Amino acid sequence: MAERVESNTAMTTRRLLSFLPVGFVAVFLVLPFLNTVATFFSVSTSRDVLSDPSILRILWFSLWQAVLSVLATMIFAIPATWALSRFQFPGARLCRGLLTTPFVLPSIVVAAGVLAISQRTGVISILWAHVVFNVAVVLRIVSPRWALLNPRYEESAATLGASPWQTFAHIMWPNIRSAVNSAAALVFTYCFTSFGVISIVGGFSRRTIETEIFTQSVRLGNTDVAITLAVLQMVVVLLVFQISRPSPLQTTSTHVSSAPIPLHTKPRGRWIVLVSVVVPVIVVALPLVATLIRSISYRGRLSFHAWSSVLGGTLPQLTVSTWRVIVTSLLFSLATAILAVALALIAAQQMGRQWFHYAEQHRILRFVTSLPLVVSAATLGLGIVITYNTDPFAWRSHTWLIPVVHALIALPVAIRILEPAVQAIPPSLRVGAALLGASPWHTWLRIDIALLRPALLRSVGISAAISLGEFGVTSFLTRSNSTTLTMAISQLLGRPGALTQQSGYVLASLLIVLTMGVTSRA
Amino acid sequence: MKRLFVFTVAVASLAACTSSTSENVEKKPATVTLLAYDAFTPEEGIFDEFTNDTGITVKVITGGDSGVLVSKAILTAGNPEGDVLWGVDNTMLSRAEQASLLTSYEPVNTGDICINADKEWFANSDVPIPTRLEDLVLPQYRGLLVTQDPVASSPGLGFLLGTIAHFGEGKWQTFWEALKGHVHIAPDWTTAYTVDFSGSSGNGKYPLVVSYGSSPPAEVLYADPSNPITEPTTSVIESTCFRQTEYVGVMRGSANSPAAETLVKYLLGKRFQESMPLSLFVFPVNKEAVLPDLFVKFAVRAKNPLTVSPQDIEGNREKWLNEWRAILL
Repeated sequence: MAERVESNTAMTTRRLLSFLPVGFVAVFLVLPFLNTVATFFSVSTSRDVLSDPSILRILWFSLWQAVLSVLATMIFAIPATWALSRFQFPGARLCRGLLTTPFVLPSIVVAAGVLAISQRTGVISILWAHVVFNVAVVLRIVSPRWALLNPRYEESAATLGASPWQTFAHIMWPNIRSAVNSAAALVFTYCFTSFGVISIVGGFSRRTIETEIFTQSVRLGNTDVAITLAVLQMVVVLLVFQISRPSPLQTTSTHVSSAPIPLHTKPRGRWIVLVSVVVPVIVVALPLVATLIRSISYRGRLSFHAWSSVLGGTLPQLTVSTWRVIVTSLLFSLATAILAVALALIAAQQMGRQWFHYAEQHRILRFVTSLPLVVSAATLGLGIVITYNTDPFAWRSHTWLIPVVHALIALPVAIRILEPAVQAIPPSLRVGAALLGASPWHTWLRIDIALLRPALLRSVGISAAISLGEFGVTSFLTRSNSTTLTMAISQLLGRPGALTQQSGYVLASLLIVLTMGVTSRA
Repeated sequence: MKRLFVFTVAVASLAACTSSTSENVEKKPATVTLLAYDAFTPEEGIFDEFTNDTGITVKVITGGDSGVLVSKAILTAGNPEGDVLWGVDNTMLSRAEQASLLTSYEPVNTGDICINADKEWFANSDVPIPTRLEDLVLPQYRGLLVTQDPVASSPGLGFLLGTIAHFGEGKWQTFWEALKGHVHIAPDWTTAYTVDFSGSSGNGKYPLVVSYGSSPPAEVLYADPSNPITEPTTSVIESTCFRQTEYVGVMRGSANSPAAETLVKYLLGKRFQESMPLSLFVFPVNKEAVLPDLFVKFAVRAKNPLTVSPQDIEGNREKWLNEWRAILL
């Protein structure tokens, strides 16, 4: 009797919990977005916009640069992911950290690094910067899946005479396909809606939907045009998600987790492994190295003054101290990580329950929690401002809104990291625990959470990192005394003076180190 | 029993706290909120004196770059986030007026957007630093200038407006057509000045850059301490200067407009105006304000600046930007 009451309560709690992720996205994203559309959308404007040849050119460019960016990212990311999830070697953790860090760096830092080396704006620089940012996405999403694949299958295939290509096509690919698809869709979305990279390294002739949304709404005051573009962008991204949706019949049976192979045991093709890692690391790390170099050199002379002044606590021309800026950033990222991962865990566990009669509910959950990837930063920023400005919902100037918005942006990524891990938990373990008399709460704690630990840590790391680097929506929110690292960097780089400039690069270097710390642990 | 006692004490002290705050409210320690762009970095403690004199506390909140700030404010005009708005400039004034964003406003500072030159580069070359916009299309000056995309960048827009003011409607296009292919367009000030320009930290290729009349003193004040300089490495070409004026005003819908007006008066007063050059790198509008030495020596405030009226800017901005783009693409 007591047991039944408990499971009923558990079920009710679960139902209530399942509303949290959807409710969160609804309040902070869907409502502001719909309100913006309702306020500014006009049919005649959108007819003009959609028949404007220059807008169609912008759409076309947005699409093809994003597709090329995805391909370029995969060329570097897939070999690196394979090597890092299959083999163990000294420096592997450092390589992982180096490949992951740029994902969260402010675009101004990566873009300035890319420009300093490439010396020219244009498509090649765009692709390079997008690769730098997005290798991390592929690595984070595909690597856990790949690590679950038992190497014995590959060995058997090889023994039976399969070529490496056949082994890849028939053994590995079917198992990693859904993870690769999901990563590719994410990378496409980031590149399609990319703002900072395009506006800095693209040159003035390269416009995308996202940069045009910003131009129209902020520079020209044509909010109606911007909204039409935002809806257009949303439709394209949703189509991509629809196409790349993981098939419900996933093979989850082949995994037998196994430790990575140490490289010093000289497996076949050792040099291939090294090349697979070293080349992407060079491509990704060069702009970071450029940042470090600029923090210690001024016009060819070595100078550590900026380092000593920043570490001494002062930031030239700014009224906040270094420590204050770092503490603010860390607090925001901590709050973001807690909020995003808690919501993502709830969502992932809901989606992980593969019961037929929940299919519709899962679709809604998946759709709603993907929306933060879909809505443009400028539109979301303006949406919040025009929606939450009257009591009792006058939230627009509240500091807590910053980590909340960061959590919103981190949520889809955190879910994508947790979901495969939740699905990989064999249901038999839960059943077994229940048969042995464990309460649902106990089962959850001892089985789910224990098995999810690595994935949880990874999603905490990436959510914290997303918060450290977020600049798009944050720059639309009103803040008081809450300058973050990212903002301080862009403020310092936005002013003349050698010390000021160098201090900006010192802060960027600190951000790199901080992010590597946050992400390489997990 | 003990617990109950602790609880009673807690409630009592809580009640005491609440009552003391409500007493304070009755004494009116008014707070006035100053809404500004992210780059608003006034001198530290500058509002202490104001608070001592008036009893009004100043809370500074920032909301994006000046474009984002003003766009947001216009979308919610009448229901403002602050009491006083700092940062509408002459390129946006007309838009702010159309939305009745401010109940009253006044110019608070000026700054000039001008071409800066790398003195060392020109000292080592055969050509002197150009002195007029017309020089830029001469063969010897081709390919030396980096400016910013006027669509995305406010100095870039200022420079374009300067050329429109100088050559006139219908003629400025000829200048840009001649410049096409011989000018580098950077996306923003940071890239132009710190990556492309040869005279600052980036060691770039271009010895001429569109920046501010106050950039040279900033180069001196914030030079590398291991290489302190007494003279800037850059100079300003005065005839190319476009005048940018920033305004400060009370926001329509402010719940606290008397205090807001007091603050505006303070921002226009001698003390605050004198602090602006070295904290915000702009020129005061108050005639009594004394300029710091560094500004007297190295900053440029053009005697005959290039100007376009806010109404003309608002009425033509989109058309001009599209024409400019069509020429340069």
